[in-house]
Amino acid sequence: MRTSVLIVEDEPEFTRRFSDAVLADAGLNLVGAVSTGRAAKAMLDAERPDVMLVDLGLPDMNGVDVIRYAATRYPKCDILVVTMFGDDQHVLASIEAGATGYLLKDAVAERIAASIHELHAGGSPISPGIARRVLARFRIGPTPAAGPEANPPSAEAAALLTERETELLRLTAKGLNFETIGQLMGISPHTVVAHVKKIYRKLAVHSRAEAVYEAGQLGLL
Amino acid sequence: MLTAPDAAPPARARSWQEVPLPDIWRQARPGVRPATTWYRIDFDYAPGRQPGEPWALYLPYLSDGGQVWVNGAPAGSVRESSETIHIRWARPHLVTLPASLLRPGSNELAVRVALPQDGAAVGFPRPDIGPLAQLQPIYERRFFWVNTTPQITAAVCLLVSGFVLFIWWRRRIEVLYGLFGLAAGLWGIRTLTFVIETVPLERWLLWRLTYLGATGGFIVAMAVLALRFAGIRRPWVERALAFYWLLGPVWLLAGGAAVEPLVNRYWIAGFLPVGLAIVVISLWTMWRQRTLVAAVLPAAMVIAVLTGLHDYLVNWSFGGAAQLLLPGWAGHRIFLLHHGANLILVAMGGLLTARFIGSLAALEGMNQMLETRVADRERELSANYARLAQLQREHAAAQERQLIMRDIHDGLGSQLFVSLSRVERGDMQGQQVADALRGCIADMRLALGTLTPEDSDFRATLGDFLFRWETQLRTAGIHPAWTIDVPEGALEVKPHAALQLLRVAQEALTNVLKHAHASRVQVRLRQVGDLLELQVEDDGHGGAAAPTDSGRGMNNMRARAQQLGGRLDVRNGAEGTCVSLQVPVNAVLA
Repeated sequence: MRTSVLIVEDEPEFTRRFSDAVLADAGLNLVGAVSTGRAAKAMLDAERPDVMLVDLGLPDMNGVDVIRYAATRYPKCDILVVTMFGDDQHVLASIEAGATGYLLKDAVAERIAASIHELHAGGSPISPGIARRVLARFRIGPTPAAGPEANPPSAEAAALLTERETELLRLTAKGLNFETIGQLMGISPHTVVAHVKKIYRKLAVHSRAEAVYEAGQLGLL
Repeated sequence: MLTAPDAAPPARARSWQEVPLPDIWRQARPGVRPATTWYRIDFDYAPGRQPGEPWALYLPYLSDGGQVWVNGAPAGSVRESSETIHIRWARPHLVTLPASLLRPGSNELAVRVALPQDGAAVGFPRPDIGPLAQLQPIYERRFFWVNTTPQITAAVCLLVSGFVLFIWWRRRIEVLYGLFGLAAGLWGIRTLTFVIETVPLERWLLWRLTYLGATGGFIVAMAVLALRFAGIRRPWVERALAFYWLLGPVWLLAGGAAVEPLVNRYWIAGFLPVGLAIVVISLWTMWRQRTLVAAVLPAAMVIAVLTGLHDYLVNWSFGGAAQLLLPGWAGHRIFLLHHGANLILVAMGGLLTARFIGSLAALEGMNQMLETRVADRERELSANYARLAQLQREHAAAQERQLIMRDIHDGLGSQLFVSLSRVERGDMQGQQVADALRGCIADMRLALGTLTPEDSDFRATLGDFLFRWETQLRTAGIHPAWTIDVPEGALEVKPHAALQLLRVAQEALTNVLKHAHASRVQVRLRQVGDLLELQVEDDGHGGAAAPTDSGRGMNNMRARAQQLGGRLDVRNGAEGTCVSLQVPVNAVLA
């Protein structure tokens, strides 16, 4: 069973680059390459792809909206956000909307295909900068020894993240690589990235719940 | 009555005159020189229900003493002045009449009124004769008012005076306190003359001098006080008042005891207009200030001046004025001035106390204002400091930005221009162009990574950097590993310094990727004492250190190390290459 892939990218050069990379891989099946958010939604409804590659800067809407649409309607769809520099802010916004991985725009063809496979197989990458931000979103300090009173984990965050997940984020935020973290925690690198994907999904749920809660507070719901 | 110096009651047959009582000498016989006088009174004795109940004679005053005889026998005496002692009684007298001397029906009472020493004859009051039990309370009441009250007054005045003068002594600027203290002290001394009724003769003159000086001084002090209270400062008026004050005592001193009646009569009279002036000034002050406080003193002054006038008239009964205004009252010889003056002292004391409390309140208010000002100043100052710190931060940030901009300009910019030029010249092949552009993108990522505003922990920055490299190295078949060994807590490195450190790491890793043919690379960041050390070590064949086309890269790394105040060591051997950068922690920390 080949993995079906939808590409959402408005820059023809990169549409071509990503399409070539997908087409070149025998395990991947390109179901479409579209350049607008509307078309992306239509393709999602029609094709229900396994993986969506999405650029954030679309002509008709923000890529984050497409991500949110896919994540809420098709939770089984893995979303890979395409970023130019892998800067934390954009990546985090995408993760909160429901993305579970990200891809650098200059990645070589093999890397593109490998990233799609890794993501679909259940693992997600995470950089120290993003780990720090995720911890902050869950209101957990990156270094618990520094001052647990100053930044106590909220009850909901504590309920959301397991102890191992929190530990993993903390080690990543300190700049350790997955190999080292795996050794420290007694798990394989594969399990590490699987944890990361779970964390991303929880963060999306968490931020959606927060948005609902805040909307309720504002009297919007 | 009969004017006679006899030691015993003169015979009835002599030329007695009938006079109404009280018999005030100066009024009844103006111009006649006073002399020792006998008064004879007939009265009926009716023993009360209780047999043997004692009877008494009550005399409201008998200033110079005398004797009391009943039915020709001595019943009692009040001490008279002698060769050695001068007596002037202020107190009333109660003489018990022995029952043995009384007989039912008509009785004869004879009283000898002694000659006053200084010739200031007073006269004889209307006496009361009756049961002792009835007269005792009347006697005691008068005794309290004319004797006990002055005692209390004198003591209180002297105490208050001492206290207030002490305040003035410590705070000379409070002239009002000084004047009040002086007035109270003088009044206390004057009042003493009502308390000390017997004085040795040789000190009599001194005593009268003291009395006159104190009385005059009190009035002058009150006048100056009223002026100062009204805010009027006329030094010549004050000097004139002081001069007049001295006039009386000097006159008495020069003329001796003989002139005392004249001094009493004329010098004291001169103070009546002064008193009236005090009243006018005080009323004016009251009119201007229109406060309850301002009204207290003038009211007391008016009362006091009126009492003074009253006393003067009672004492001297000018043209029978007192008799006309207050018939019958003058004969009681009740002097009111010291009660009136007490009122002034109480009012003055109240006012000064109010002033004192006012001063305290003002002081507290001022303190509070001062505190508020200090607090305001402190706030301003801290705001200034905050602004300054903000400016400094902004300046530092601007400097950092400028450094990084220059870095991008010199590095990325020149790289792009050189590549463009070479491509246009046809000097670059496809792969070379791609490599050059990748180099530019990597440069850009470094700059963006170090410029992330809120993340200044270098551990995370380096982690992100290595995270990006990891995939690249693995793709090239090189197994990466890294260790970060710095003290706990954030490693806050200045953005530009972070950029330099990462550039060195980037250069070193690029060399490993391109030239080392290594299978493993180890990146280490650690803090050893004051030094921050960044190490990139591979297990290749040493090509990473001195490849011909990367000499420029090596020089770049050295230059960056120097910029950071550190140094770069390259160890090159058969078992691999180790690039080691050491910089002082202080030079790179934010």
